Amino acid sequence: MAAVQPSRPRRRWFRVGPKSPQPRRRWFRVGPKPPRPRRRKIRVAPIIAGALSASLVALFVLPLVALFGDAGLAGLVAAAGNRTFQTTVVYTLFASAIAVFLGVLTGVPLGYVLARYRFRGRALLESVVLVPVVIPHLVVGLSLLLLLEPNAPLGRYVARAGIPVLDATAGVVLVMLYVGASYVVLSSETAFRAVDPELIEAARSLGATPTEAFLSVTLPSAGRAIVTGALLMWARGVSEVGGFLVLAYAVYPSFPWPGPVTNTSSVFIFNYYGIDPSAAIGFAGILVLVSLAIFLGVRLLDRTGLAWSRGGWFP
Amino acid sequence: MVPVSGLALDGVVVRRGGFALGPVGLSVAPGTATALLGPSGAGKTTLLRAVAGFLPLDAGEVRLDGRRVDELPPERRRFGFVPPNLGLFPHRRVRQNVAYPLAIAGRPDAAARTRQWIERFGLARLADRYPAELSTGERQRVAMARALAAEPAALLWDEPLAALDVEGREVLLGLLQELLDSVRLPLVLVTHDPSTAAALASAYVVLDAGRVRFAGSPRALADAPLDRFTARFLGYDNLYSRDDLAAAGAMPIGRALLAAAGPGGVAVPPSALRWRAGPGGSGAVAGVRSTPAGWVVALRDGPLLFRVRVDGPVPGVRVGETVALELDPAALRPLDGPAGAA
Repeated sequence: MAAVQPSRPRRRWFRVGPKSPQPRRRWFRVGPKPPRPRRRKIRVAPIIAGALSASLVALFVLPLVALFGDAGLAGLVAAAGNRTFQTTVVYTLFASAIAVFLGVLTGVPLGYVLARYRFRGRALLESVVLVPVVIPHLVVGLSLLLLLEPNAPLGRYVARAGIPVLDATAGVVLVMLYVGASYVVLSSETAFRAVDPELIEAARSLGATPTEAFLSVTLPSAGRAIVTGALLMWARGVSEVGGFLVLAYAVYPSFPWPGPVTNTSSVFIFNYYGIDPSAAIGFAGILVLVSLAIFLGVRLLDRTGLAWSRGGWFP
Repeated sequence: MVPVSGLALDGVVVRRGGFALGPVGLSVAPGTATALLGPSGAGKTTLLRAVAGFLPLDAGEVRLDGRRVDELPPERRRFGFVPPNLGLFPHRRVRQNVAYPLAIAGRPDAAARTRQWIERFGLARLADRYPAELSTGERQRVAMARALAAEPAALLWDEPLAALDVEGREVLLGLLQELLDSVRLPLVLVTHDPSTAAALASAYVVLDAGRVRFAGSPRALADAPLDRFTARFLGYDNLYSRDDLAAAGAMPIGRALLAAAGPGGVAVPPSALRWRAGPGGSGAVAGVRSTPAGWVVALRDGPLLFRVRVDGPVPGVRVGETVALELDPAALRPLDGPAGAA
């Protein structure tokens, strides 16, 4: 059986119906002289804004251009093939992964507390969160050293517990946490604050316990900002030098790093700069490429939608 | 004896900071609606949120189908609560929003039931959209479908038809009325809109500054003591405070109004005012305005301005024309002062 199709206007090679309203084109003018088209006014503000932004972008990009130009392709290939350097990169990613995990684990709850609760000393707590962003990196290392060296009050207990901190993975992770976790706290606080309380009330009324409402509504709404904060924290940790120089100049095998003896990449490059500057530049180039690849990868994953931040996750 | 089915509030008191609400008592039978009315800040939303479980009661009881719920957490009270901005989850599609209560409850038939509710509210075409991609009316429908999918024992809706255009409001009012008949649940709605209240509710509760000023049938509201809010709600355009009248005390019309005024002033219902254009009167036409319901003519007599509705395609008077005004003192309605001030 042929289904009845809705009728559609047929294409014909001849015209049916009235002539199209468009005026005919002529090679001579009919009617009054058309007004001369106005000269486009040049707008100044966008040009100034553009020039100012471009100069900053140039400042960001040009040093990298210089770096890669100096290293050259051969230098980059040689650097990438260096086994010792490869170990430092693997180690840095390893340690930063632990640090980011711990940073999210502790920073998101702190961000939530700051966003949701009013209590005495809240403003003070908020400033404390900002302290690591403000103080110089060398000072971070020194302060942690003073706190955790084996003869210090707290360090004694840590040493007795058998957790090596100096020149060990625990030290590296602590420095990364110290310098970077603030970003997780700040971005998750902002994100939690932006979640409409009405959504949580709606979820509760629909049968969700406070925990279920947090997992199904609050966390997914804030998920993207938490990812951003974690990414910033990760980048901050990988780029750290000063704190490592004091607390973990070299890294000896210790829980959970099985070995071999290594450095963080940044310290490794810093060391090499005194010995063989051109090799150091190649290493630096590779570290930049690895970091950018991870940054872009996470961003892309985020853009296409992490399953859990798109609502399909819970329940 | 309290009714076994339906929603009952008994002596509910809520204190928040300097604001005190109650005591409020009301009972809503299944399949009927009670409208909470009152000026902004009267405590309507506070009451609704307290009943839903988001604010603690300082006194009183909330019973649902004979069972006390005021000590349960919100998720166990079984209220279909729709907040003023609907509370749709922006990161979930329409389908996922409607499925939410079923998924939380771990129902094995969640998918099938979700489909039923989506079809019932005509949302099948929109099921894969996000709330941000819907019109206001569509969003309202999603919120209703989601609230009902939770299989509540009562519905609490805060401004269910706010921000809708006239047509959307009519469509949704029809849907709501039909729903009320079919699901047979008690409904409490907060509204500012007289037409919504009149279309749905069989009982009104007027709150003012936390106190119940009126509770009863819509018909009884018209005969109850008036306050400013109620008078406006009933469509009385001409309200005068005692201060307004003091300025007109020297004129006969001002004296008549003052004689009838209560602590909050006086309302002049349309039936109480007669006017005719022509020489000899003390008033004048101050303005003519077109409204969807017809023409409104503003008449000035001394310091007092009266608004009157005029039928017909043209108002038939000119601005500046002299008019004579006459009041029927028996039809004037005194106004109560604000609650707590008397």
